Amino acid sequence: MDIAYLSELAVNGALTGLLYSLFALGLVLIYKSSSVPNLAQGALTMLAAYVVLALSRQLGFPLWLAIAATTIIMFFAGLGVEKVALRRMAGRPIVMILMMTLGLDIFIRGSTLAVWGGTSRSMELGISYDPLFLGPILLSRINLAGAGVAIALFVAFLLFFRTRHGIRLRAISDDYIASWSIGISVEHGVALSWGMASVVAVASGVIWGEIQGVDQSLSQLLLKGLTVAVLGGLDSIAGAILAGIFLGVVENVGSSYLDSIVGGGSRDLIVAAVLIFTVMLRPHGLFGRHDIERV
Amino acid sequence: MKPEDVHKSGPILSMNSVEVLYNSVMLAIKGVSIEVPHGGMVALLGSNGAGKSTTLKAISGLLTAERGKVSRGEIRFDGNVIGDSLPQERVELGICHVIEGRRVFEHLTPDENLEAAAPMSLSRGRVASEKARIYDYFPRLGERKTSLAGYLSGGEQQMLAIGRALMTQPRLLMLDEPSLGLAPFLVAEIFEIIKRINRDHGLSVLLVEQNALAALDIVSHGYLIENGRVVMHDTAERLKANSDIQEFYLGGGQARSFHDIKHYRRRKRWLS
Repeated sequence: MDIAYLSELAVNGALTGLLYSLFALGLVLIYKSSSVPNLAQGALTMLAAYVVLALSRQLGFPLWLAIAATTIIMFFAGLGVEKVALRRMAGRPIVMILMMTLGLDIFIRGSTLAVWGGTSRSMELGISYDPLFLGPILLSRINLAGAGVAIALFVAFLLFFRTRHGIRLRAISDDYIASWSIGISVEHGVALSWGMASVVAVASGVIWGEIQGVDQSLSQLLLKGLTVAVLGGLDSIAGAILAGIFLGVVENVGSSYLDSIVGGGSRDLIVAAVLIFTVMLRPHGLFGRHDIERV
Repeated sequence: MKPEDVHKSGPILSMNSVEVLYNSVMLAIKGVSIEVPHGGMVALLGSNGAGKSTTLKAISGLLTAERGKVSRGEIRFDGNVIGDSLPQERVELGICHVIEGRRVFEHLTPDENLEAAAPMSLSRGRVASEKARIYDYFPRLGERKTSLAGYLSGGEQQMLAIGRALMTQPRLLMLDEPSLGLAPFLVAEIFEIIKRINRDHGLSVLLVEQNALAALDIVSHGYLIENGRVVMHDTAERLKANSDIQEFYLGGGQARSFHDIKHYRRRKRWLS
């Protein structure tokens, strides 16, 4: 296999990987504030894509306005979900909270199926599908645009966590009782993280909707997103970025080797292997937070 | 923390026959009445499990985090009943509780720990000058303000916990076992600083301590709590002279078991 082909696989894998990271960012934001992996993140992403389509096709909004409006709608939807479904769960066993997010996932998938049906719709962002050549390497324009959006969001969130509001959110994820003791509203902080994760769901819903069409399968991004988040350490934004790139590259390069041997379908096997080995060998992920032990 | 508070009449904090129930069944304190005068320093003494921490949590509102609630009696701050307001509302009123075991934000730097506690209403300039004031009181923190708080020594973490509380602009500072697990010279240093802040700003202090000897040196009054009840209330001098106190809390104060000193953290996280 020649080096140009290999680097093409790697670069495109990395771009796709950044889109996994974008999805995983939503998981990380919620995990950071409330220590629960949000199993409804895939459904939220799909819901966001459907809302964009509904606003632009059914109500005739221009696409940019539909996306902006969806961002606002989803932000408040995120706040609402936290307030209605999760706040009352505070202090319950983590598995119950996990089941609550699973229930939300099933609920959102069921409702979108009932309202919009099962046929796949296209997002039609207007990004050309003509190949883009970077030297000898062939790139996908939509993946490149998506990776750009992902990087912009990462930078925005990294900066946000240096602001006073951001520091307070990090304090909550460190110790919520201590946060209460100095007057931080833990409830508002957790709600804010749900709102932000829902905004991330809009970005990833629009981009993934463009790539693979808007239908129920969009919610299955959760599996790759969770793999990336776990590998990155669940509460680390930088970890999610690097883990996404890693998974994207390994998946793309690995499957092009393996598919010729096993005859296709090795992508999912690679993802599964990464998840299983992470949990077995490095449960804190690459950049997950250990409890600090002083000697 | 205005000096004129010192001259106001009436206590800044009064608790009147307060009872606390955990999980709606377990009675943790059974009618505690205490007062802290404006600008005064008062200690709550007593053995492990006597109800000292519960008393502080009833005042700061942190009981809710442990499924506890005030089932009888009332707590007044500055003359007003605080009822069942949220912890953050009480911090806004000027009550700040330095919880037991330091509990600094380990993955934040000391600087960020202080910033997290600054009220959002403070301007950036005020936050910076308040931080400078804290570093002035605790120069050791200033030297280490960019390393992670989790790597500070026990004494430094306690200083950070107190500094963090001071950032909330309290008028009543409640300290739960600030001497726990610290070397005696550090305890003396920290108590000296608390006394200085009390003197400079008229900050009222309610101190919970098992180390009665150190506590009675800096406070004016003390309450002795046993089995959830106040069993004695007197000036610090007279408590120090009291033979029962000497026997149970002063002489025996040093010989703590390893279990008390090594403070294992089995911390619960939000929603876990």
